Amino acid sequence: MIKSSFNNIKVKALVTAVPSKWTPVEEFINEPDEKNIAKFKKSTGVEGRYDASNKQTTADLCYAAAMSAVKHDGVDPADIGLLVFVTQTPDYIEPATACVLQNRLGMSDDCMAFDVNLGCSGLMYGINIVSGIMESSNVKYALLMAGDTTGKNQRRYIEKGWVDREDNEAKLFGDAGCAMLFEKTGVAPPLDMAMRTDGSGFKAVIKPWGGERHFEGPQMSYMNGIDVFNFAIEKPPALIKELMRDIGTKPEDYDCIILHQANKLIMKNVARRAGFSSKQNLLSIDKFGNTSSTSIATALTKHYGDDNDGSVKAMLCGFGIGLSWGAVSIELEKSDILPLLMTDEYFDDGYEDHIEHA
Amino acid sequence: MSEKEKLALLEDMFELDEGDLSADTVLDELDEWDSMSKLSLIVLMSDEFEKKLTGDTIMTFKTVGDILNYMG
Repeated sequence: MIKSSFNNIKVKALVTAVPSKWTPVEEFINEPDEKNIAKFKKSTGVEGRYDASNKQTTADLCYAAAMSAVKHDGVDPADIGLLVFVTQTPDYIEPATACVLQNRLGMSDDCMAFDVNLGCSGLMYGINIVSGIMESSNVKYALLMAGDTTGKNQRRYIEKGWVDREDNEAKLFGDAGCAMLFEKTGVAPPLDMAMRTDGSGFKAVIKPWGGERHFEGPQMSYMNGIDVFNFAIEKPPALIKELMRDIGTKPEDYDCIILHQANKLIMKNVARRAGFSSKQNLLSIDKFGNTSSTSIATALTKHYGDDNDGSVKAMLCGFGIGLSWGAVSIELEKSDILPLLMTDEYFDDGYEDHIEHA
Repeated sequence: MSEKEKLALLEDMFELDEGDLSADTVLDELDEWDSMSKLSLIVLMSDEFEKKLTGDTIMTFKTVGDILNYMG
């Protein structure tokens, strides 16, 4: 495993943003079958999800979250020297959406800004990238933004007839974005993490068309559920255990374990195999669905966003597309985890949508 | 593990009553045999029999008896 440890990087604020429209599972499908809905809810844990409008992108959600984080701490955006945007639903193929966000946020050009193309492991990788660059540079403040509008993509696939409205995948995903504001300080609680990648599983979750290798074709994502499941219940628990062994912690040292909110069955088995109790295993998939790289932030927000009392020691673990996985041992002040933010605002970049004429 | 014990594990996994399953039960005729129960079967095989079940192997299962045989 690739292991990193920091003792001078602090999370100053964490904000999760969602669109205001929340749709219950019953409304996802045309002819609700009570038995199937009950089964879906029980096995995945999803009760509903937040839906972004066609105009609202991941960058819009993350922008709102970042503005809220910056205001919470009274940090001048011009003092933020690093912006990392983790997403698989960027505004454009090029340029990196992080560059657009740097400008929207009013940051100065004394700044590094770039995108990272990762999904469900993305927040873990983002924390590692941001902490590593901060430690070795003169960056005092950094913004990590992560999110996806995978739910919106699924709704597009349904409209195009590529996916059946009744499919589990069509019901599983929600839209959300988050921002974490980091500060380099004299002393901070230990921040330890471990990462792994196994590209032999690159076809387990893939959008094969629309890139340079296969330019033409339906731009939709495919998932081999069984391959992903086999990976998820084996590799992430092993990594969590290795990290704990390396840093000398035990499950009982943690207030909670927060896993990528993949589905309830996966989370239950990952937590159990890593040695954590079901009580420690905090879920947010009920209200948010699977929100890709934001999902760990949604769970922190759901459970601590309205609580300002004390701190929380958490084991975080994200895993998925790549295949890629990472675990982070972290301590956060609950007052730095802000309440859930709702926004329907979107950015007008001045371009018209392209319409093909016959 | 006896066949009865293995059947009990499967009945528990499918949330069925004791005696609901037999080796002859055809999986495609079971309402409970869906994508999520296939994932639960992967966990059961791994936890109880230390076997890693792939999608290809699951495709070969036609009856409960096929699963019992795979359990070994």
